[in-house]
Amino acid sequence: MNAPISSFASGPLVETSAARVSQSAPCGRLSLRARGDLAPFEAVLGLSLGGPIGARATAGETESIRLGPDEWMLHCPVEAVAGLEAALAPLYGSHPHSLVDVSGRETSFVIEGPRASELLTMGCPRDIETILPGSGRRTVFDGVTVILWRDAADRFRMDLWHSFAPHLLHLLETGSRELAAESL
Amino acid sequence: MLLIHCPYCNETLPEVEFAYAGEAHIARPVNPSEVSDADWEAFLFLRDNVKGPHYERWRHLHGCGRFFNAVRDTVSDKFLTTYEAGAPRPDLASLTERLK
Amino acid sequence: MSQYRVSGRGRVDTSRPVSFTFDGKTFTGAQGDTVASALLANGVHLMGRSFKYHRPRGPVAAGSEEPNALIGTRRGAGRFEPNTRATVQEIWDGLQTNSQNKYPSLKFDVGAVNDAAYMLFSAGFYYKTFMWPRSFWDKVYEPFIRGAAGLGVSPTEEDPDHYASRNMHCDVLIVGAGPSGLAAARAAAVEGLKVVLVDESPEAGGTLLSEPQVKIDGKPAWDWLAAEVEALKALGVKIMTRTTAIAYYHQNMVGLCEKLTDHLATLPADTPRERLWRVRAGQVVLAQGALEKPLVFHGNDRPGVMLAGSAQTYLNRYGVLVGTRPVVVTSHDSAWYAAFDLADAGAKVQAIVDIREGVHEALLTEARARGIPVKLSHTATATSGRLRVSKIRVNPVRGGQVGSGTEIDCDAVLMSGGWTPSLHLFSHTKGSLAWNDDLTTFLPEKTPEDCVIAGASRGLWGVEAALRDGAEKGREVVAALGKSGASVAYAVADDRTGTGVSMKELPTDRSPGKAKAFVDYQNDVTAKDLRLAVREGMRSIEHVKRYTTNGMATDQGKMSNINGLNIASDALGKKQPQVGLTTFRPPYTPTTFGAFAGYHRGSHFEVTRKTRIDEWAAQHGAAFEPVGQWRRAWYFPKAGESMDDAVRRECAATRESLGIFDASTLGKIEVVGPDAVEFMNRMYTNPWTKLGVGRCRYGLLCGDDGFIRDDGVIGRMGQDRFHVTTTTGGAARVLNMMEDYLQTEWPDLNVWLTSTTEQWATVALNGPNAAKLLAPLVEGVELTEEAFPHMSCVECTVAGMPARLFRVSFTGEIGFEVNVPAPMGRQLWETLWDAGQQYGITPYGTETMHVLRAEKGYIIVGQDTDGTVTPFDAGMGWAVGKAKPDFVGKRGLARPDLVAKGRKQLVGLLSEDGSKLEEGAQIVFDPKQPIPMKMVGHVTSSYDVGTTGRPIALALVEGGHDRLGEIVHIPMPDRTIAAKITGTVFFDPENARLKI
Repeated sequence: MNAPISSFASGPLVETSAARVSQSAPCGRLSLRARGDLAPFEAVLGLSLGGPIGARATAGETESIRLGPDEWMLHCPVEAVAGLEAALAPLYGSHPHSLVDVSGRETSFVIEGPRASELLTMGCPRDIETILPGSGRRTVFDGVTVILWRDAADRFRMDLWHSFAPHLLHLLETGSRELAAESL
Repeated sequence: MLLIHCPYCNETLPEVEFAYAGEAHIARPVNPSEVSDADWEAFLFLRDNVKGPHYERWRHLHGCGRFFNAVRDTVSDKFLTTYEAGAPRPDLASLTERLK
Repeated sequence: MSQYRVSGRGRVDTSRPVSFTFDGKTFTGAQGDTVASALLANGVHLMGRSFKYHRPRGPVAAGSEEPNALIGTRRGAGRFEPNTRATVQEIWDGLQTNSQNKYPSLKFDVGAVNDAAYMLFSAGFYYKTFMWPRSFWDKVYEPFIRGAAGLGVSPTEEDPDHYASRNMHCDVLIVGAGPSGLAAARAAAVEGLKVVLVDESPEAGGTLLSEPQVKIDGKPAWDWLAAEVEALKALGVKIMTRTTAIAYYHQNMVGLCEKLTDHLATLPADTPRERLWRVRAGQVVLAQGALEKPLVFHGNDRPGVMLAGSAQTYLNRYGVLVGTRPVVVTSHDSAWYAAFDLADAGAKVQAIVDIREGVHEALLTEARARGIPVKLSHTATATSGRLRVSKIRVNPVRGGQVGSGTEIDCDAVLMSGGWTPSLHLFSHTKGSLAWNDDLTTFLPEKTPEDCVIAGASRGLWGVEAALRDGAEKGREVVAALGKSGASVAYAVADDRTGTGVSMKELPTDRSPGKAKAFVDYQNDVTAKDLRLAVREGMRSIEHVKRYTTNGMATDQGKMSNINGLNIASDALGKKQPQVGLTTFRPPYTPTTFGAFAGYHRGSHFEVTRKTRIDEWAAQHGAAFEPVGQWRRAWYFPKAGESMDDAVRRECAATRESLGIFDASTLGKIEVVGPDAVEFMNRMYTNPWTKLGVGRCRYGLLCGDDGFIRDDGVIGRMGQDRFHVTTTTGGAARVLNMMEDYLQTEWPDLNVWLTSTTEQWATVALNGPNAAKLLAPLVEGVELTEEAFPHMSCVECTVAGMPARLFRVSFTGEIGFEVNVPAPMGRQLWETLWDAGQQYGITPYGTETMHVLRAEKGYIIVGQDTDGTVTPFDAGMGWAVGKAKPDFVGKRGLARPDLVAKGRKQLVGLLSEDGSKLEEGAQIVFDPKQPIPMKMVGHVTSSYDVGTTGRPIALALVEGGHDRLGEIVHIPMPDRTIAAKITGTVFFDPENARLKI
């Protein structure tokens, strides 16, 4: 799979009876790191940052996922990034934190269809079923670190660094066709 | 292919998500300049080669990213426990007792 | 139908004939046949030649344990596989197969001369014979051995198939779908557990497929089986056939290899040939059954001699009589039933020869009823027949004495030495085994895994016992998973149970030294070899194994291990448990490399990372080189240019006007937090406190041992925010190292690290015209010496894009690195490219970058350093903040060895004759010293295409910094080159060119 991701067509990249893979529209992505009292951040963002690793929250068009004890990924519309940065900046003095724009670093695949979770078993060693709909995890897919957002039983988003996308898409494509060819 | 319990994620997950990070509880001296050559050599290079329960470090590389500590029996390859970085060394007797 | 196909028997469909070829000749079998069963149905037993003696061989078994009948299979163009077991390869129209290890033909083989020279080729033959003279090894012995030995031939074409892998998680994995496996599956499935049942055969059933006479719960075995399989599926059990559990790894991870297409004439689209499953199971039930043992006697390998249970399988499962006049030789009751089944199917069983003095009266009655002569207390001492057994010699044994023999005409010999539980996977778990004297075999004892073993694989005999045990073990795993299952009983009729004795070699009247009584068929190991090994001093079974190669073939000793152990322990005069068993290793059966590689082949072999500008480079003819996982533009040849031409041109253009370079792969880490500067002070050798916002500095990263780990330019974007760059290959490693110190040594520091490698696309502009090009495009800063001096950084706008602009130089020219959000990288590059045309802007690749930096003496970590080089060795003591109380590496740098005289230090080298030195070449002080010379360093970088007008090199030389001006010598294969030690800066040492 040598095609650069910039040449990916719009619309579904892969579509079989088993699963459909598409690239999600560009969005704003912010890596938030903070410790201690999270309430001021929650107040600004309007969403809960608590809960176990993998917990998600949504407020309007902003959503968050907890990736580590002091780490969250925030997704928002591209044009909302500057606003969020400005809104959180005043907290820095009283509540030191790190907010880094990583919108350019990553892209996301939407993986959906009746066998979407089986498709993920081709590259992910953990039990996909332990990621409940509405939650997510940072994990590994075919050797590459990814964030899986499980939006529904049969619908996932996979965040990954841009340069890994062609490699992973190749497996998702091979796998979708392989699953579709299976007689169940 | 081990299963490893991440004390931060509170999940038991495949080894593929983790990276081994050497022996645990080797604290870097607070003032290295005051440490003798022999002690510094020991800190840098000398490690136990334990047959049995071994205190070691892992990182949940493809997960929460945290380094943590573990006690693994190098004979059976079983983890007796894992615990957060910075937590004190757990008492071995109680761990092996639990296994019985 | 041939005389060997029995109508009304077996599970094959004779109404659907299948034609295939064997050694070019076309044969017809039935749908459901294996190559072996189809050839046997055609009266063909001879299927191959043996490994060492090239003896004619036929199938001895009917399953995956088969050691003899190894064939090459061709499944269409490009699809050739050697060493396939004829006993498991299913036939289909058009399948081509051939025998192996024969020259010129299977029926006449010149290599069989080895057989005539049998007395020479005993255990340890190679070790003894080929030791002398030593010089003969490379030229004579090894080519001879390699030519003569080996199994089959490797395929020469690239494999056109694809392979797959998947992870699976289940509550209970059951290996083996025979009666015990089926019963365990039911026990677990009725409790609602997620159950996976695997079997290497094309269909579930195990021994039931060979024992149709059994009745379970009032139904004939096959009717019960069909209904049970459907019932289990209805309960949600995933039944996987043609799927071999090849290995048992830690914590109940079992590797399965599923074969998907080898049995199909037409390959379905998008279907892999094989799939490797990594199954993680809460509980594992091993229900793999037992393997029959051959008897060890002279001529026990002749085609037509096979295991009695296998003959029974060929008859009952495939409808094939392996012979019409068989003789049965046995030490176990089970072979008697084989005799009865074959007799009932029309064979004239010539005799049942049993080593035991007495057997159960019922067996004798049954034999009598069929008119089969019975010879108790008899042994077999020889077989004859050139390519197929035609006679067997049997002798009475009385009080340990072997009487005179009589020959019996026959066309098959069915032997049974009893049964060995299949313990391979159990052994993979480090499970302990316990010797059972009654069964003369090892039985499973304890395993550290959450695993139980059921049925015949723990020595239980008969369908009823297997079903009962399977159900019971199923209940055990159900309980272990926190549920309680009800017990299930199965009513079994017409079961065949029995007993037997286990033998070493059969008693014989022949000279033992001349007996060719095979223990390991595949490796041609005889009982004589094993005894010789013991006589020659091998005491451990592991040594006996390696000296004789017993059990080392691809069948992993499935048939030979216990017989080998019995013989070795007899020779040693010890009990078997004192001798012990060798360790079974994965995989259980030979597994293709394809299955292990899975998806990772061809373009998917490994990740290839590309920058946003990579596509532009490709469109402009770049040659690429891999750097870590990245592919980077190496140089940009114009038509007709060699690499040297291109690099020379790129270097000159950059020095003279303007070069443009994609530096996006550089690792980048955003360091943010109130303690950011403290963290930087502790991590890097340099001091950071006084570095102002908007300034950048070259940073050097050491390990605590004092050796250089990485380097890069670091900009202070804000009071609490640093933009750190790392080497391309070091990005992940450096971030990991930083996280390690931060999380575990200094968790009190309020600072966080975020990888921004891929957040930014980085374009480097270098050359006298770099500022001129950039200045009109930049908003927010004036690109003058005063407003934006060398080593400045700023957030600004470049061509309308938000940017982090660095004024840095890795070439010695005026240089800038423009970072823009990665999605804008291509746009930035093209804007600069267009605007740069007036300056003859030239794209350059990593090679030119390497040359230009070497001319300035800038190091490449990992090329000019090798993990044993300190900042002082590299001549960069200026980068070490000596006043800092501590940093990673400070104490290490004070170690006695790191401050000692005579360390290898980085210097420049200029060859005296103007030739280019070879990177990696060793350096000596005195070229006239005797060999081996004392090597005092090596050339680390060397180029002759740069702009200094002569080849230059960097090198690590002992005490180099004190030897400036001295001559060293570089011995090469054809001559020795003299070179002068110089400083490392070859170009513009005053840095005059950095000024705008």
